[in-house]
Amino acid sequence: MKSIIKQKEFSIFMIVVLLCVVLSFVSPVFLTFENFLDIIEGNVVMAILAVGMTLVIITGDIDVSVAAATTAVAVIIGNLFSFLPDSWISILILFLIAPVIGIIIGAINGLLVSKIKIPAIVVTLGTLNIINGLVLYLTNGQYLNSSNFPKPFLTFANFEFLGIPILVYLLTAVAILTWFILKHTLIGRSVLAIGGKSQSAVRVGINYNKVKLFVFAYMGFLAGIAAIAQTAYTKAVDPNGLLGVEMMVIAAVVLGGTNIQGGRGSIQGTLLGVLLLAIMQNGMILAHIDTFWQKVVTGAIIVIAVSYDQISYRRQQAKLAKIEVEA
Amino acid sequence: MKKFAKTLMSGVFAASLLAGCVSGNGGSSSGGEAEGGNQAEGGADNGELSIAVVPKLVGIPYFNASEKGANQAGEDLGVDVQYTGPTQADAAAQVKVVEDLISKNVDVIAIAPNDPASVDPVLKKAKDQGINVIDWDTPANKDLVEYSVKQIDDDVFGRHMAQKLVEAMGTEEGEIAILTGGLSAANLNLWIEAAQKEFDENYPGIKIVTEKIPTEEKQQVAYQKTLDLMKSYPNLKGILAVSTPAPLGAAQAVQEKGMQDKISVVGSALPTDSLPFLEDGSLDTAVLWDPGKLGALTVAVGKMIAEGEEITDGMEVEGVGQISVLEDGKSIIMGPPADFTKENAADFDF
Repeated sequence: MKSIIKQKEFSIFMIVVLLCVVLSFVSPVFLTFENFLDIIEGNVVMAILAVGMTLVIITGDIDVSVAAATTAVAVIIGNLFSFLPDSWISILILFLIAPVIGIIIGAINGLLVSKIKIPAIVVTLGTLNIINGLVLYLTNGQYLNSSNFPKPFLTFANFEFLGIPILVYLLTAVAILTWFILKHTLIGRSVLAIGGKSQSAVRVGINYNKVKLFVFAYMGFLAGIAAIAQTAYTKAVDPNGLLGVEMMVIAAVVLGGTNIQGGRGSIQGTLLGVLLLAIMQNGMILAHIDTFWQKVVTGAIIVIAVSYDQISYRRQQAKLAKIEVEA
Repeated sequence: MKKFAKTLMSGVFAASLLAGCVSGNGGSSSGGEAEGGNQAEGGADNGELSIAVVPKLVGIPYFNASEKGANQAGEDLGVDVQYTGPTQADAAAQVKVVEDLISKNVDVIAIAPNDPASVDPVLKKAKDQGINVIDWDTPANKDLVEYSVKQIDDDVFGRHMAQKLVEAMGTEEGEIAILTGGLSAANLNLWIEAAQKEFDENYPGIKIVTEKIPTEEKQQVAYQKTLDLMKSYPNLKGILAVSTPAPLGAAQAVQEKGMQDKISVVGSALPTDSLPFLEDGSLDTAVLWDPGKLGALTVAVGKMIAEGEEITDGMEVEGVGQISVLEDGKSIIMGPPADFTKENAADFDF
């Protein structure tokens, strides 16, 4: 048993705590239940995408098409809304259709990466542009507001259980599912093995293509879920609303201690990474920091957090020279 | 033998290069003449007059609406309108679009630059080839354009929004915040400056709580920032949101927290998008202009300059109304801002 302090996520956790302490001194509203719910609910989409991205990055790949895929699914369900009946079945249909479309998009990425062996950054940059182009062509950038959404969907979007919005439960479910896959299933362990050393992993009999296909398809699945969350959160479909979000997602995953070259990473760490970015954005206004300084402060905290994480990881590695396959 | 072949090949290559040069020169000079002819005869040599209208980007509601207006005006005036632009608000991509239009040898280029400095060289090139260059929506370098078609007088617009906000708040005292699309957008900054001047000069009781807050041109970001603002400044009475998605996000936050009666939101937004927020009072007034008319005016101005017609202050433009020309003789102002409210927003289709 390693002590808690030795865990990789501890460094990022400490930075989050430190930031919280500073912010609660600066602003009395920061440390309130309501504010924390706002922070979490506002970043559910980013967190869901970051959870999926963690698996992709652990295998040593990257998927820059996530925001575009989410937008594509959101646009499709937005247009579907006018055909759906005003009953609870609509929600069920939605939760069936959105993930399936996401999986299809993800599987296309996965097939190109695994079967044709094109580097993932090239494939996903390609799909990013294809999807963005198609979405723009089909929607003409038209913004859809909530006036033609079915009533049950709006009820679903505003639903709260024990004072906590439904989207937070959705994120919790996604995080636990992914954590379980990564920690306790064969495919999850294979993901870490391939990221650690792909050649050795293949030699011990892990199916490289299958694992790659799985991570990209799973990313697509989560993009589908994220599309529902995005539509429920904004109560609108904006074809340009997620432009550039993939960069924030990747930043959160890396901040959370996942190695960009693969082999190392965890869901807990990623969630903390998202939380760090989210708290920073929220704290800036609460701390009355001037607009122009906000960017400087954000950048500085990211650099400090990543350097600190890297340094402590190096120190640990120096102590134990073994290949790490721990999630 | 091999050496000979090489020499021969390089000779041929050099010759072809030279030939290219010569024919290139010939081409551009004859192009220039044709252009001169065009201007004199109103584009009689190659059929219709062609006017290229370049927006900052295509595929957002605002520029879609202006495209409709521009194309309609093209049909009405009997000119060929090419409405084309980059798919993202990207300065480099926009330069390429203009390059293409220069090689197509259009008669007029009307541009809404993403970044005035980066289109400078390419606009100069267009001008040297005898293409009439104007800007619309957002100003380009003044020395390069013949006319600047502006939707609005920036100062009037900023001050108008400030007045509308004070009107909606129902008091001349209190704390307000300003949301903007992006910190580097020149026209948004001009409006905000004008609004700030209006507050300073005429409403000394209004206190702006913090610097303008950027929202990345995204509704979701505006929504989150507004939530933060409401918590951080509990006495907030008004929000001025500049850029089209920002007022929607601000209004959504006000709507969800049920603060319609406490916080007034005024901003620049399209009427159809803002309808659900105008209806319950979470957005008080959306102030903008008709982007379709702006497109139409751009095409009309393009046609007039290509045909050598003079544009004068107070002249009537078909389908647009009375326009004004500022003292510099270059800036054409379409008209006063339009207010969209609960009562009239449903009548518009953009």
